[in-house]
Amino acid sequence: MALAGTVVVNEIQKRFILLWAYKFNFFTQMFMIGFIFVGISFFMAGGQPNPEMLASGLVGYLVWFFALAAISDMSWGIREETQTGTLEQMYMSPLPTGVLMLGRSIASLFISILMVGMSAVVLVLALGVSLPITWTALPVFLLTMAGLYGFAFILGGATLVFKQVEALANMMQNVLLFLNGALLPVDRLPGWMEAFAKTLPTTQGIIVLRRVILDGQSLAQVWQDGSLVGLVINSAIYFVVGWFFFRWCENRARRLGALGQY
Amino acid sequence: MTAAIEIDGLSKVYTKRKSPPVIAVDDLSLSIPAGQIFGFLGSNGAGKTTTIKMACGLVLPTGGSVRLHGFDVQRQRGQAMRQIGAVLEGTRNVYWRLTAWQNLLYFGRIKGVTGQPLKERAERLLRELELWERRNDPVRDFSRGMQQKVAIACALVADPPIVLLDEPTLGLDVKAGRTVKRWVEQLARNEGKTVVLTTHQMDLAESLCDQVAIMSQGKLIANRPTGELLGLFRQEGYELRFRGKIEESVAARFEGFSPREENGHTILSGTISEHGRLYRLLEIAEIQGLELLGVAQADPNLEEIFVELLDRAGKGEHSPAHPMNGRLPHATIREVI
Repeated sequence: MALAGTVVVNEIQKRFILLWAYKFNFFTQMFMIGFIFVGISFFMAGGQPNPEMLASGLVGYLVWFFALAAISDMSWGIREETQTGTLEQMYMSPLPTGVLMLGRSIASLFISILMVGMSAVVLVLALGVSLPITWTALPVFLLTMAGLYGFAFILGGATLVFKQVEALANMMQNVLLFLNGALLPVDRLPGWMEAFAKTLPTTQGIIVLRRVILDGQSLAQVWQDGSLVGLVINSAIYFVVGWFFFRWCENRARRLGALGQY
Repeated sequence: MTAAIEIDGLSKVYTKRKSPPVIAVDDLSLSIPAGQIFGFLGSNGAGKTTTIKMACGLVLPTGGSVRLHGFDVQRQRGQAMRQIGAVLEGTRNVYWRLTAWQNLLYFGRIKGVTGQPLKERAERLLRELELWERRNDPVRDFSRGMQQKVAIACALVADPPIVLLDEPTLGLDVKAGRTVKRWVEQLARNEGKTVVLTTHQMDLAESLCDQVAIMSQGKLIANRPTGELLGLFRQEGYELRFRGKIEESVAARFEGFSPREENGHTILSGTISEHGRLYRLLEIAEIQGLELLGVAQADPNLEEIFVELLDRAGKGEHSPAHPMNGRLPHATIREVI
């Protein structure tokens, strides 16, 4: 446990230093989070968005931004570290690579929380949106993130083996934006598309988060109506499949001698 | 003497669909004693880096094993990795946006060292490498030599008994190269570490290494203490002295011989393992209209021996490397000497 804690703190420290080193990029990204949300909201509401709609959209949009960061960290991030040789150095650690990768994921999530959180505060204050976040939302958020990072592990594993997966990563970021219910609730999609959308990571998380944050439902209520059960199953599948796929890809990259290739 | 690295029947075959398999390392067995500086030499693509990466657990072998102080890299990965620090060729190995100090602390922690011992070790390394004053500068602001020093320091931050350095002086200026060389020497002589280095700089290998192994096409073609290897070829070293300067294209006809100028004359030096070759070289000189001033036996350097061994391996010859009669009985191309 202490070992895992050290790894996480070490990764968070590194990420903070790198974040500050690239602060221009960081602030640009934060501006982009706000700008795109305002733009999309006005567009979708024909120029007259109401606070209730904004709040619903904001929950989905912020979750999508977490997805953007996770996918980016696990695909571009791994590729960049392959090029600099720091990934191979990590793989020479005596610590289990599973612990190191989990540490990296938690650090990535921590930084995303900081970035998205700051943007959310600005948006809530600027647009007058009511977002009554309670502790009930925390387990739902963490479950959503577990599924999301499982999905990101799939892309990370593909990066280790295939190297250039930018097209796939870009496509998935866009698919999630349009189909995970961030902009448009999935129950308004055609039946077949809704069924597909619900298999994606974060879709079920957004549904449950909206119920908990905006409708004030308790965990017991969302469990009883089955939406939380759906989230648990969805996230568990993504996390387990993503984790094992990543480990399989690590082995394959080692067999191919591709860990350090780019 | 106990072995720091034991390589047993190691092989790596890369297979791809629609193309023939590539044998990168072919049944390599090697034992590297603790506390030595071991040179791993070979042309590009000989299999050195693949072998180093298999020792680091970065590439899975097709067969065989690597043990680091008795710990199997595949089966006892955690303990094996505690024995080793490596700087790999062609990459930065460290984060350029982080300072030297931050890099050392980061890599120390992922190698399982924390707290005060880590800070003390990091400080000592930075002071020894004359980087202490600039410890808070981002590595990207450093010269190439300083960046390489940071990479080496990071490889050593957990105080591993074995250090693998893949082309440690590549791209360094003379001064930085000398610092790295002096430091590598100190690591082995004063701290008792086993240093394995791959390099194309034969003078570096000759002056630093206690033992050298030469690889060609995935196979080990020589593995001897450096002095012994040089001694084996002592009787085969020749210098051909010609009047005036010889054009490069003409010198190239004397395969395996390297030219240098001295007092306005050209000296070609290399190894000749059978007397017939000497006469053939003299014929070439006559055809080219070169004025021969003299032929003398001379101690060959490691570079000349390296070229000669690769040449023999490439021709598939049996070893003619015996110092007394020109033939080593029972020697095969698998291990030229």
